[in-house]
This record gives sequence, C-alpha cells and structure tokens, in this order.
Amino acid sequence: MAFSYSARYLFLILLLSWAGPQRAWAQQETRFTLSGTVRSARGEALPGASVAVPALGTGTAADSLGHFRLSLPAGRHQLVIAFIGYLQQTRDLNLTRNQRLSFVLDESGNELGEVVVEGAATLQEKLKTTQMGVEHLSIREAKLLPALFGEVDILKTLQLKPGVQSGGEGTSGLFVRGGSSDQNLVLLDNALVYNPNHLFGLFSVFNSDAVQSVDLYKSGFPAQFGGRLSSVVDVKLREGDRQHYVATGGIGLISSRLTYEGPINKGKGSFIVSGRRTYFDIFTRALNKANEGKEDYSPIPDYYFYDMNAKANYTLGEKDHLFLTGYLGRDIFGFSSTGGFNFNFNWGNTIGTLRWNHVFSSKLFVNTSVAVSDYQYNLSNKLDTFTFGLGSNIRDYTARSDFEYAPTDRHQLKAGALLTQHRFGVGRLDANSGDGRINFGSDVNYYGLEGALYASDSYKASDKLQLEGGLRLTGFRSGADQYGGVEPRAAARYALNERTSFKVNYALMYQYVHLVTNSGATLPTDIWYPSRLSVMPQKSQQVSTGASFLLGNGKYLLTDEVYYKWGRNQVDFRDGAQLFVNPELDAEFIFGKSWSYGNEIYLEKKTGKTTGWIGYTLAWSWRNFQPQRGTTGVNNGEDFHPNYDRRHNLTVVVLHQLNPRINLTASFVYTSGNLTTLPLGRFGLQDIPGSSVGLDPRPVPIYPNRNSYQLIPYHRLDLGVVYKIGSRLNQDLTLSIYNAYNRRNAYFVFFDTVKDKGTGRTTGFQARQVSLFPVIPSLTYNFRF
Amino acid sequence: MAYFLKPTALLLAILALAGCGKLQNDINVPLPAYSAELVVECYLEPGKVPSLAVSTTVPYLSSVLPQIPTDVTVTLTMPDGTAVPLPFQPNYQALIDTVSGVKFHSHIGRTPLVARPGDVFKIDVVDTKGRHVTGTTTMLAPIPIDSVNYKFNDKTGSERKAYFLTNFRDPISLDDCYRLQLHKGNPAKGALLKSPEVDMSVEDRLLNGQQFVLGTSYRFNAGDTVTATLYHIDRSFYRFRQSTRDARNANGNPFAQPSAIYSNVQGGVGIFAVLSSTTATKVVR
Repeated sequence: MAFSYSARYLFLILLLSWAGPQRAWAQQETRFTLSGTVRSARGEALPGASVAVPALGTGTAADSLGHFRLSLPAGRHQLVIAFIGYLQQTRDLNLTRNQRLSFVLDESGNELGEVVVEGAATLQEKLKTTQMGVEHLSIREAKLLPALFGEVDILKTLQLKPGVQSGGEGTSGLFVRGGSSDQNLVLLDNALVYNPNHLFGLFSVFNSDAVQSVDLYKSGFPAQFGGRLSSVVDVKLREGDRQHYVATGGIGLISSRLTYEGPINKGKGSFIVSGRRTYFDIFTRALNKANEGKEDYSPIPDYYFYDMNAKANYTLGEKDHLFLTGYLGRDIFGFSSTGGFNFNFNWGNTIGTLRWNHVFSSKLFVNTSVAVSDYQYNLSNKLDTFTFGLGSNIRDYTARSDFEYAPTDRHQLKAGALLTQHRFGVGRLDANSGDGRINFGSDVNYYGLEGALYASDSYKASDKLQLEGGLRLTGFRSGADQYGGVEPRAAARYALNERTSFKVNYALMYQYVHLVTNSGATLPTDIWYPSRLSVMPQKSQQVSTGASFLLGNGKYLLTDEVYYKWGRNQVDFRDGAQLFVNPELDAEFIFGKSWSYGNEIYLEKKTGKTTGWIGYTLAWSWRNFQPQRGTTGVNNGEDFHPNYDRRHNLTVVVLHQLNPRINLTASFVYTSGNLTTLPLGRFGLQDIPGSSVGLDPRPVPIYPNRNSYQLIPYHRLDLGVVYKIGSRLNQDLTLSIYNAYNRRNAYFVFFDTVKDKGTGRTTGFQARQVSLFPVIPSLTYNFRF
Repeated sequence: MAYFLKPTALLLAILALAGCGKLQNDINVPLPAYSAELVVECYLEPGKVPSLAVSTTVPYLSSVLPQIPTDVTVTLTMPDGTAVPLPFQPNYQALIDTVSGVKFHSHIGRTPLVARPGDVFKIDVVDTKGRHVTGTTTMLAPIPIDSVNYKFNDKTGSERKAYFLTNFRDPISLDDCYRLQLHKGNPAKGALLKSPEVDMSVEDRLLNGQQFVLGTSYRFNAGDTVTATLYHIDRSFYRFRQSTRDARNANGNPFAQPSAIYSNVQGGVGIFAVLSSTTATKVVR
C-alpha cells in the first residue's frame, strides 16, 4: 500500500510542529530541567509515578524506567511526588540550574500510623495528559479487591473499568469497545502474550505478586503500539527489591504463590522469581480415590496450572541498564478412561525478553530489546501401542528499538522500529502404532515477517493546548503475500482551566494475525493464522472525544468519553469449518465489517480513607457478514450484535481503610444480559438403518438468527476484608465473598428434553438456565518476610 | 469437539464442588414465530425397496410428536430417467417402536432398487402448500474392508476387554468420506438394525490414497460378534451429518458456535443419499 497524500501531509505537520516554536519559548523566561528517577524504597522503578508542581499546574509522569523530566522556571518550587499505593512526598526545591534528583517513595499501608492514601497528584496528571481511554491499574487496588476463589486477577480488575466487557461469568477475557478478545495486544515487558488465560479464561496468566503495573489503552493508541485493533494491555513486571532479600507469598483456596526477590551485587541489580500452582488435582484425586470402584462414579480428570515469572536487572553503568524477563506457564490436563484410553492435554505460554536501556543524555534514551514469545498446545491420546497427537503453536522472535527524545520542554519525541518473525504452526497431527501399520504425520506451518516504524511527538503548544501526533508504518509478509499500512495517530487536549480539560483523538490500526476459532469463548485450542492469500489484514479506526473535570477540591475526577469505532475485514468462519490441520484454512474464513459506539462515564476518587470509582457505559456493537464463499454469511447477511454487546454496564468499586490493619472493599457490577443464539425450530432425524432406534431423541436444532436472545441482566456484589497481622503488618488474611447475595446470573440457556421417568420417552422440551457461580467465600493468607 | 467435553466436564465438576444450591433453573423463553419447512430423509439401498420419511420442522418448544404431512407427493427419478412415484404409506408403528430398529417412512416404493456405482438418482417432493424439495445423489463405489482384528488388554475377569480395528484403503480420488458402524450381535437376528456400539465418520483430507485403520477403546468382551459396516459417503452427506452434530452440540454447550444445517436437498431440509457399504464380521475370542 502506498503512502497516501494525507499521511505525508500529516507527517509534515508533525515535523513542522516540532521545529517551529521552540526558540520563541526559550526566550520567554529562564527555565531549567529537573530530571531524575522515582523508585520505591525497595529500589524498584515506579513507572507512572507523578512528579508535579501544583502551584504551577504542571507535572509529568515517570516512564517505564521510573525516569522523569520536567522543565520549570528558575526559583523556588514545591514538588509533590505521588504514586498510588505509596505515601505521597512533598519536597521544596530552589532550582538554579539543570538538576537531577532521585525520589524514593514508601509503600503505604506498612506503617501503623499511616491511614491516608494520597492520589490527588495522579488525578491532576490524568486531567492534563492528552492520552484518552487509558486505565492505569494499581496492583495495590487489585490486591485489595475481592476476587473469585481469592485469586487476584488483574484482567478481571480491568473488566471493572468502563468500556471493558467480560466474555462471561468469571472469565478474564477482555472485550474492549466492541472489539473481540483476540484484538487485544497483551504485552508482558514488551513481549506478546498470545493466550493470557488459564482454565478457559477463568484465571489470567498474570501473577499479581510479580506485576508492577498494568496500563490498558482503549483508544488514542500511542504510535509505539500496533498489531491489534481494539486495545493494548501493557503489563510490566516488578524488578525486585534492590535492598533486601524478601520472600512473599500466599496460600489460598485453590492455589499458592511464592515470590523471592533481592539485590544482585550489592544493589547494582536485583532479581525476582515468582511461582504459582493450583491444587485442584489434589482434591480431585482424593475424591476419585474415595469413590473408586463405585459403578456410577465417573472419575474427575486431573487438572492443574502453574506459572513462573522471573526478572533480573543490572546496572552496567550510569547510563546502561539490562533487564531480563522470563515467563513460563502451563495448564495440564490428564485423563485415563476405564476403556484404556490415556488422554493428555497441555497448553501455555513461554516468554523471554532481554532489554538494554541506554541513556545518551537527560534528553535522550533508547530501549533496545529482543523477545521470544511462544504459545502452544499439545494433545495426545494413547491406547495400547496406538498414539495420536494433535497440536499447534505460534512462536515470535522480535527485535525492537524505542527512542525517546525531549529536545525542549515542549516536545516529547518518540520513534522506533520493530521486526517480528512469526512462525505459525497452524496444525500438527501424528498417529502411530507400535507395529508400524500406522505411521502418519502432518504439519501445516507458515512464516510471517512483521515490521513497523513509528514516530510521534507530544507538543505542548501552550499551557492550555497540548497536541500529539504520530505515524506508524507497518508491513507484513507471508510467503509471496505482502501487505502494508499507514497508521496515523492524533490526539489533542485543551485545558479550559485548572480543573477542566477537553480531549479528542483518532487512531487507525491494522491487525495482520488472526485467531482461528469457531467458539464464542477463548479456548486453548484456538490457533493463530497469518494474513495470506484471501485473508486480508483486519483494519479498524476509532475516533473519541471527551471531557475531564476535577471536582471536590481535586479529590474526584469525572471523565466522560464518547467513541465511534469501525472496522473492515473482520473475520469469522464458515459453519462446520475445518480448523485443524487444514492446508487450505484460508478458504474457511469469511469476512465482514464491524462498528461500535458508546459513551463512558467514569468518576474516580483516589484520596482519603475511602477511594474507588463508579463507571457507566452505554454502548452498541454491530457486525455484518454478507453471504459469501458458498455460505449465507452470518445471520443471513443481516446486521447482528456480537454476544458480548451490552447496552448498559455499571460498576461501583469502593475501598475503605478502616484503620491501618483493616481494609474493607466492595465491588458491584450491573450489565445488560449477554446475547445468545437459541434455536427457534427443530426437526427429528432418524439416520441410516442400524443407527439409533426410533426417532432420535435428540432433535436437531435450527438457528435462523445469531444472538437474537438476551439473557437476564447480570449483577453481582463482591465483598472483601483485608486484615493485616503481625507487628510489621507484613502478613494478612484476605476474605473475599464473591457474589455476596448469591445472585443466579445466567451463564447460558439451553433447551433440554423432558423425559417420562417410567418409560424414558421424551415428553416435551424445556428451556433451562444454567448459572456458574453461587456465593463463593474464600480466605487467603498472604505474607512478606 | 469431543476432547473439549472432558475439560468442560472437569470445569463443571470443580464448580459444582465449590458451589452450593441449585445452579440450573427452568425458565420461560418466548420464541418468535417460526415457519415450518419440509424435512426429507431418504437413504436408498441397492436391493431394497426405496422409501423416505417426509416430516416438517416445528417450533422448538412445541409438542414432541413429529409432524407428518399427508399431502406430499414424492417422485424418484431412476438413472435411466424413469420417474417412479413413491406413494404415501406411512408405517406409524415405527415411531413408537423402540425395539425392532425398523425406521419410519412416510412414502415407499413397490420394487427393490437396482443401483450401481455411478448411477444418478433424483428426488422430487412437493406438497399442496407449494413447498417443493428436490435433490440429486450419485451412488459411490463400495470400499472393501481389508481386515478386521482385535486385541485384548492384559486384565482379567470382567475387566478383560478388547479393542477392535477396521482396516481399509482409501482410493486415490479426493473428497472421499466414510462412516463406520460396529454392531454387536448376530447379523442374522437383526443386530445390524440396532444401535451401534461405535459410529464414526472420517474423511480422507489428510490421508488421501492411504491405509485407514479405525480403532475403538477396550470395550468388547470375549464372545462378542462384531460386525463392521463401512459406508462410502460423499462430502455433502458428511457435511450434513457434521452440521447436525454441530447444531446439536451447540444446544447446551456455552463454548460452541451454532451451526446452520447443510442439507443436500434444495427447498427444504434433509438428506438424499444412496448407501454404498461393505461389511466384515468377526467373533472376539
């Protein structure tokens, strides 16, 4: 695809905006640069920490390394350094030259005397940034909130933010502003996570003990991100304590966690290793053993998952830092039938990243990284000497460099490049017998090369107006098929006054890899497929605008955003598509368009003993797949809503610090019911002679319309208490009550046959609603030594 | 797919352990109006009198009784172009017979069918309401079963069981599909009309022109007489069967995507096929 005229014009504007007004600004007054780092008392960088001068209404946020840079007029200033979960710090400063300062913040909640968590500076910073549609998740908040089975899950916490829907009860899949779950770019320290779920999405792969921060971008995507249409989930792992060796962990209802961290070479670096494992299998084995020999008892298969995170960093010198990240997670499922059948199924991600940070000067630094990301599933059956295996994987090797340059205090330039080699193991099948009669193998593999170049500038035109423009050039090649895209990104913020700002942004995204699934849920057997042959890249554009208001003397931030998003080449699959080990898989795709729009209202409070937020979303999502490729399309070519379309979504989250030992939390969710497809008609099928006897008792359903039935509204209240124990408050008991008033939310509805108990004959049909989770209390013990 | 069922069962088992109270409730679902279509199910067999069942689709939550229209005219066109009417002579008894294995038919001919591989047959079904279903099918060549064999596990007593293997070779041509049924019992006593022990469908997409070995788990006892019936079916029949299976599985499986029914008849729903089969019988000792 050639560069369009408009794209070149935009790029020119970007360059001119950077070159223009800097000299005029420099002549206005004497200014100096304050730069430095914000770290925790453990020595870990605090990305997103705010460094502000409230009197001037200016401030900045620390980058991913905890670096900040702020231009201030010469003279005396009072600085406020803040980060959620840490005690706010105030420092007086007489600025007479360019100066570097390092700030160390203490964690809140670790001192008996401390009761207030300050976050006003964070809200101020949020008001001032041009970035819209971004949610920064505090791990402290996530850990305090009540969780299903007591398992803290950052992706489920993100579902409590406006504009983000879950796929269903208890699942951690994210559906952002009408996009599907495979359209989220999930990054773990810059490496792509292809399947961020354990156990069909009931749990995410992220162990909260190892996570430093999570940012979710729903719109206004910065130019350094690309490759997915709907959202970016940027997860950063902690670096580990640079001062002391520390062990933390927890023992919960279904899993236990252990983390060990400490300094390397007297604080020149640090490491953290964290592991988690569930123990469903221990319970189910005991249950199976207790019921062994009972005729009507079917043994429960073995299942467990584990994941391990590791990260190390080392300071090579004043200007060079190395970071090494690793992740390994697996779900393991095993089953031995009484028929002699052994069934094993495992799946998971393996991720590694090596990043080198080099600081050229206080104005320029670069991050260069290489990463490998692998997702695979393997399924094997064994009977006597016969074996059957099925599997798939995707493996990426990525190299990228990201430069950040601040030539003046008005410009923040970012530029970079990345190159990813994908290997798509679309399907692997092998069958063998010990006697050699069966010896069959089949592999369908493709390669893809994905590249991107980007540049962006955040330009402070005046105290009131801030502009951000970016351009991302992307390309993808698989075999002889090549595609390219120009992705402009633009954002603007106008501050009406110190307490009100208006924002607008636009982004275009391409997605070159596609999830192959014919299921409404994320399954481990879903595979990824490159753009090739008839499968064109998916494309999406989004425009959003909104206003932010600081209320209540800066204690509350009210944000209202509206968005419209439209996409082309959205993918679905033919009914009955052959998705496994199919060398002509591209013929199974069908293509359509999507569009969604909505309004998100978000009120948050981050100061005082009581914090939390209220979010409300009014939204519509649509899809259309016209008849094509010998199919009737989807829904006979008529517009339809995806099953995660929800008109109303209300979340209320409250965290209250009763005293230094006790935190009370509550979250309430109300959403319109999920959409589902129910059969309208049925017919009986006798089948060929020698099959079932009589008219088959299981009728064949006929589904004329997609997602035309709406389940009952979903609502749920979760409650939590965190009780800190020990003289240093380094242990806690966390009580979570999921679904506190035991609401029977609908997970799905089906039509069951009603049988006469005497004759066993079918006498009618009945709609039944299945709920997944009743009230579930759980208790977790957490420690830190 | 079958291998999702066990993880799903596990998940539900865990959830059942964790939960309390009733998690399944009867509800009323108001369904919109649904217009009925003709359903045609016709399996011709060489040497047997041609018959078919014509019914209609019904609203899902309506009465369980099948709707058998009485105003339907059926014409079977033979390979030589001869049109043979199949009169309406329903054997309603078969609808309530759960023992003999005799299938219900609404229409039946008078003389046994003569069919050879390559023969093309046509069906025409029309009722007085103007609903009109047509279909065409070709008889495929039967595929010989090369061998059947079995092997016992190393257990004793009632746990001593055998698996059963059926071997055949796929022809070089593409798009061959197969359906294998294994019946237990004496074929001479009608065992092949009863529900099979094993019923599976496969295609030659990955094994074109190669040897197929289809096996079972350890499930047969010493003394069982096992008959393998191998049907050579075309892709449209395979796809119809697959689509009905997918549609059924979607009802009650929250992970499944509902499937449309891919019939090989036009103007209604159903299947029209000539069965081309071979059999092999072995006593497991």
